Amino acid sequence: MKNVSFVLNGKRVSCEVQDRELLLHTLRERFSIKSVKEGCGIGECGTCTVLIDNEPHYSCLTLASKVNGHDVKTVEYLGDADHLHPLQKAFIESGAVQCGYCTPGMLLSAYSLLMKNGNPGENEIKEAISGNLCRCTGYIQIVEAIRDAAGLCKCKS
Amino acid sequence: MLPDFVSVNPETKEEALAFLDSIGDARVIAGGTDLLVNMKRGESCRNVVDIMNVEGLNRLSVNDGEIVIGSTVTHAAISTITILNDMARSLSAACGLIGSPQIRNMGTVGGNLVNASPAADSISPLLIHDAILSIESKDETREETLENFIIAPYETSLKPCELLTSVCIKALPGYREGYRRTAKRAAWAISRLSVAWAILEDEGRFVDVKLAIGSCTPMPFRPRSVEEFLRGRTKVDPTIGEAVVMVTEEIRKITGDRPSFAYKLPVVSDLVQKALRG
Ligand code: FES
Ligand code: FES
Repeated sequence: MKNVSFVLNGKRVSCEVQDRELLLHTLRERFSIKSVKEGCGIGECGTCTVLIDNEPHYSCLTLASKVNGHDVKTVEYLGDADHLHPLQKAFIESGAVQCGYCTPGMLLSAYSLLMKNGNPGENEIKEAISGNLCRCTGYIQIVEAIRDAAGLCKCKS
Repeated sequence: MLPDFVSVNPETKEEALAFLDSIGDARVIAGGTDLLVNMKRGESCRNVVDIMNVEGLNRLSVNDGEIVIGSTVTHAAISTITILNDMARSLSAACGLIGSPQIRNMGTVGGNLVNASPAADSISPLLIHDAILSIESKDETREETLENFIIAPYETSLKPCELLTSVCIKALPGYREGYRRTAKRAAWAISRLSVAWAILEDEGRFVDVKLAIGSCTPMPFRPRSVEEFLRGRTKVDPTIGEAVVMVTEEIRKITGDRPSFAYKLPVVSDLVQKALRG
């Protein structure tokens, strides 16, 4: 077991983790953050995406012990049902959510992009979400949503 | 489910080397994008040395046209650092095509080399830059060319007690450089064929040509006879045509005829021809 301390969605946290524990399971089981989902488990689908130091990572291939001393963000950082982030609103308004399974990861990849680039072009948006698969929407609505949100939101680190 | 291993997270190189020396059967993990997938698929493992916190291994330094890339520098860093864009364009282009943004943020150049996949994007560009690897163990530091380091697909000369600490390449000023590949789709794909090149020309003549072909043979390789053939020749279509034929012959020499060549050889020919024409 190892003790890890990190910043989770803006709050300092610490916990004991197993040596072989994956960040995905730490977040879901120890912190009850169920928005981080396991799809493929081998780094191909993006449903387990979290931001580590504001960059997207696959939590299904990240040992929990690696985040010691780092900053971790999940979609809960963006907003909640009563206070949606402009990016979340744009997803809803553009019809970029159908089953919703990919959405938390998709939002985080988009958020990370907007933190670095307030006015991304279509290709930059597509590139930024290229590690997140969506089996429902066909992506067009997602790209539109991110473009619409770009003008509206301030993405803070 | 991952096997039940014990891990350590050393913070200095000396500590990491001491662990590797004393544990014996330890696996080194950096980004984890290859190793953890292999473990999930059943590869056994009892001890893990995580080198991602080791100070200095993620450093990149440039000195007098020589670039030293620490083994835990990520693909994302290589593809975005401006100085690499200027001094080793084929490498930064190749690393920008690896996997997905998430994989590039996690995966490292050292991991790509130690895993030694025939399709690893970073290998061909490093070959044309005559990469030399620094390999350390508790008692010894040695250097080895990348060409000698990879001895078979997924197999290198690295011993269990050794750690790949950095990769040194030379800038190729004046050369036009690039990397092209074909894959099933643009993002998140294993490259099916790739060509890296660095070409120096002067008044319509090839002064020096460096080529590396990836994913076609068990290991990415430099078609040296073709490079030799082109040296000093005028850049005209028949010469380029001849060089392209020579490349396909070299590939046949390495692997014999393969059913996939009906697809692969025309594609390689096209990629090489475009590279030479510029
Ligand atoms: S669950 Fe991590 S990428 Fe699919
Ligand atoms: S909305 Fe269903 S997978 Fe994207």
